Amino acid sequence: MTSNTTRRPGELAFTLFLAVVSLFLLWTAFGISGFEALSSPGAVPMATTFAMLATALIVAVKTARRPAAADEKLGRDVLPPLVFVFALFLLAYALLLKPLGFLPTSALFLVGSVKILSGRGWGFAVGVSALSLLVIYVLFRIVFTVLMPAGIVPEGEILQALRGLFGAGR
Amino acid sequence: METLAAFFTVWADPKLFALVAVGTFAGIYIGAIPGLSVTMAVSILISFTFSWDVNPAIALMIGIFMGGVYGGSRTAILLNIPGAPSAIATALDGYPMAQRGEAGEAIGITTVMSFIGGFAGIIVLAVAAPVVSDFALSFQPRDYMLLAVLGLLLVGSLASGSLVKGIFAGALGLMLGTVGMDPLTFTERFTFEIPLLQSGISFIAVMIGLFGVSEALTQLHQIDKAAVRQSIDRIVPSWSTVRKHLPLSMQTSAIGVFIGALPGTGGDIAALLAYDHAKRVTRNPERAFGDGAIEGLVAPETANNAAVGGAFIPMMTLGIPGDAVTAIMIGALFIHGLNPGPMLMVEKPDMFWFIVGALVLANFCMLLFGLTGIRLFVKIVEMPRAVMVPLILLLSVVGAYAVNNSITDVYWMLGFGVFGYFLKLYGYPLGPIILGVILSRLLDDNWRRAIISERESLPAFFHGLVTSPLSLVLFLSVIFIFVSQTPLWKRWRRGRTGPARPPAEPGEPEDATLS
Repeated sequence: MTSNTTRRPGELAFTLFLAVVSLFLLWTAFGISGFEALSSPGAVPMATTFAMLATALIVAVKTARRPAAADEKLGRDVLPPLVFVFALFLLAYALLLKPLGFLPTSALFLVGSVKILSGRGWGFAVGVSALSLLVIYVLFRIVFTVLMPAGIVPEGEILQALRGLFGAGR
Repeated sequence: METLAAFFTVWADPKLFALVAVGTFAGIYIGAIPGLSVTMAVSILISFTFSWDVNPAIALMIGIFMGGVYGGSRTAILLNIPGAPSAIATALDGYPMAQRGEAGEAIGITTVMSFIGGFAGIIVLAVAAPVVSDFALSFQPRDYMLLAVLGLLLVGSLASGSLVKGIFAGALGLMLGTVGMDPLTFTERFTFEIPLLQSGISFIAVMIGLFGVSEALTQLHQIDKAAVRQSIDRIVPSWSTVRKHLPLSMQTSAIGVFIGALPGTGGDIAALLAYDHAKRVTRNPERAFGDGAIEGLVAPETANNAAVGGAFIPMMTLGIPGDAVTAIMIGALFIHGLNPGPMLMVEKPDMFWFIVGALVLANFCMLLFGLTGIRLFVKIVEMPRAVMVPLILLLSVVGAYAVNNSITDVYWMLGFGVFGYFLKLYGYPLGPIILGVILSRLLDDNWRRAIISERESLPAFFHGLVTSPLSLVLFLSVIFIFVSQTPLWKRWRRGRTGPARPPAEPGEPEDATLS
């Protein structure tokens, strides 16, 4: 939680970033229909982006006035390596999801993350991941019938074969 | 007769009955596990149930909502970690009770009181909503606009303790809601000539990013924190204990319903105010507040569950969400083709009574599941974060993808997840963002309707504002809330009352699970 008396590492830069983005958005909002009319499509966007800019500037001034927190470091308290690694993991997951398919990508993601986070052996990571993936798959793919990218796994054929198997058993 | 039939739909249909029960059961666990919030669960769930019929989807979500608000108290008592923001006050006296080995009794009384509070909220909803919605039919566009602003201001100021950051978050949400084609004039807004942006940003992607991914990333800061083990004994409280605290529970239920019904305030604030109320009216508590007073459990737990029924009042009658969870529920109703607001009560009263019926059932399920299965519960809550965090992330990706089968939504979700992580870290509340996205259309449409009907004249607009009693009250409330959060006013208050005690910190809802 942010303390009200000190400035966290990177806080000022982030606030200034918000202010710059707000200014850019205000400019874009002005471009929608200018000051044409109070009921124009750009009126509310201009008002909201103006509020964003004004509040971001107030926060920036307040933040700049506070002394930097002495006991906090950017690489430890704001963006620890673990968070950075996971952000990259997620990006990789999203990029691979479509070409590789839901099951292999998720399996890779789960095994990798559980291994890193738990610090335990591969057996634990693989076991836990396989079990979680099975539950998620049954729940969402079969019960909720959510379609996920099949990728390299011939999912449809396997499901069809399973259905055929159970159908034949009846 | 039709009302009765609609009310009992959920009771008579085994599938709906089971969905409410499963939802409540799951909600209790989701609410209890620190790091999993009801908001997160309902957001992810919308993406999975959007292809369902409306009744089963709503039944499941109501169960999760009801169970989740209650579930937060479990971990507050057992581990001193409120599972949900609405259980912050519960930890104050619940945990000291658990330390004395009275965790079972604390959970028992909490469950029964949540049940009583939940009922009070539902009764008020059933009685008041039809009246409010009749009244709401006379609302002018400018009243809707003012209500939306009021809700955003309340959430913004109360959620973070910093009004400027709250306003920034709310304005950001409103801006995000306007991205895409303007529905009235088909002008492009914030599309930067990118075709993908023309249909706007998927609000589900924003929501899952803000409440799922950013929460999971924040959890990585304390991945090694181990759970504390507890032993559980007697659970069901004696009748005399319940009867003794009944008067207090009625008072705090009233507080809960009222706070819940105000647009912008929900169970967390209701619980804190009720706790404060209990402290003032309880003359001789058996134990001091903060040291395990039963009254300190009764008050917040009745109030936060009463607030559930209360929060449905503005949601069903005005289409204005009470808090982040009801904002998401409104989103769910939209997705299923329903339009919450006064016309819903006129056109589809069945839907309203169906929801009331589901709430009642969820309340009973909560009582049943609350008093049983505690041992299993303790096991599940001890699930290591090393497994939970990857699972939340995986579910977030699946959820974002599932709505439109679009990988772009996944990218939006991830972007908002990382952005939300930083916002949270630097003390910006996330609730107002999602409220802003939901309210954006309502505010934009109504502002334009209001100003067009006054022929684009601001003086005429303000004249209408001050001559209509309702608009005037709403306008003054907006001004008051705004002014009361400014440093000048606070200094003036301090000057009048002397060095006041620090106000009850509502805390940051999203951070509450981490404190």
